Amino acid sequence: MWQQIIALIIILFFIWRLAIQKKKHKITKNEFSFWLVFWSIAALAILGLKFIDKLVIQLGLSGAGINYLLYVAVLILFYMLFRTRLKIVKIERDITRLTRDEALKE
Amino acid sequence: MANIAIIIPALNESRSIFPVVSEVKPLATWVIVVNDGSTDNTQELAQKAGALVINHKTNRGQGAALETGDRKAKELGADIIVHFDADGQFLATDIRKVCQPIIDNQADIVFGSRFLSSSNELPWLKKNIIMPIAKIVSRLFWDIRLSDPQSGFRAFNKKVADKLVIENDGMAHCSEIIIFAHKNKYRIKEVPITVIYHRFGQNLGGGLRIIKDLIYKNIIQ
Repeated sequence: MWQQIIALIIILFFIWRLAIQKKKHKITKNEFSFWLVFWSIAALAILGLKFIDKLVIQLGLSGAGINYLLYVAVLILFYMLFRTRLKIVKIERDITRLTRDEALKE
Repeated sequence: MANIAIIIPALNESRSIFPVVSEVKPLATWVIVVNDGSTDNTQELAQKAGALVINHKTNRGQGAALETGDRKAKELGADIIVHFDADGQFLATDIRKVCQPIIDNQADIVFGSRFLSSSNELPWLKKNIIMPIAKIVSRLFWDIRLSDPQSGFRAFNKKVADKLVIENDGMAHCSEIIIFAHKNKYRIKEVPITVIYHRFGQNLGGGLRIIKDLIYKNIIQ
């Protein structure tokens, strides 16, 4: 039980930081919405751990629901890392295009 | 007579750029040095040696510099474009060898091969580990059977230049150009070239980076 409380406190801390960043206009409205939804889902998952446990059993899987939450979290992290990498590659390509255009104009 | 443009990408090559440009200049109509964000006096020395210098304000990599040079060469109306290194590892006299099959209309693109010449003393690791791996990867993924899949010394005609757009900014451009030539069924030829190693060049990590860059390029497309 106390682990869930600690996890919820951490999530509340992140949401509080998110609100501050939004207030200081450091993140866009879309970014704020995305992360708010993300942390809200995480909080709901923690509150509904017993339900997830039941769901895991119904799906015929063994182990606690929290384990599967962690697996999903790792998968999401890998996907986000991959997306970030792709974005960096695209930005690099744009920088090259700009550098080249400027060099050839000189 | 064919108009030849030699493209030399250069990053902090103040020690070698002057003699390299001076040696290749009599063999070409234009020598284009793409100064890829150098912080030394590469630009001044290349200009002093008689090259046409294009400046990248920031370092973008060898592939990006070659693409910039190719565009300038096409704008000038080059019939043959030659890619050459700035560090003095290639011999200027090999430029004729690389261009001749194109002039004789026997090939559209010619790659200089370090492995067809017995006089080259390649570093052991490169000769026995890195290059065999590169060859296997090239054969396995793209069915390419060249003796030197990472050759940076090449020449191609206008037909190839008009279609070629180098998209890999880094060192993966070598593989990219070879794959492009095979896909478009150009007449490909390899000629032996001499290489004098001053530096090791691509290591195993660099090789893995090339594979990673090629994969990302395909994903982004």
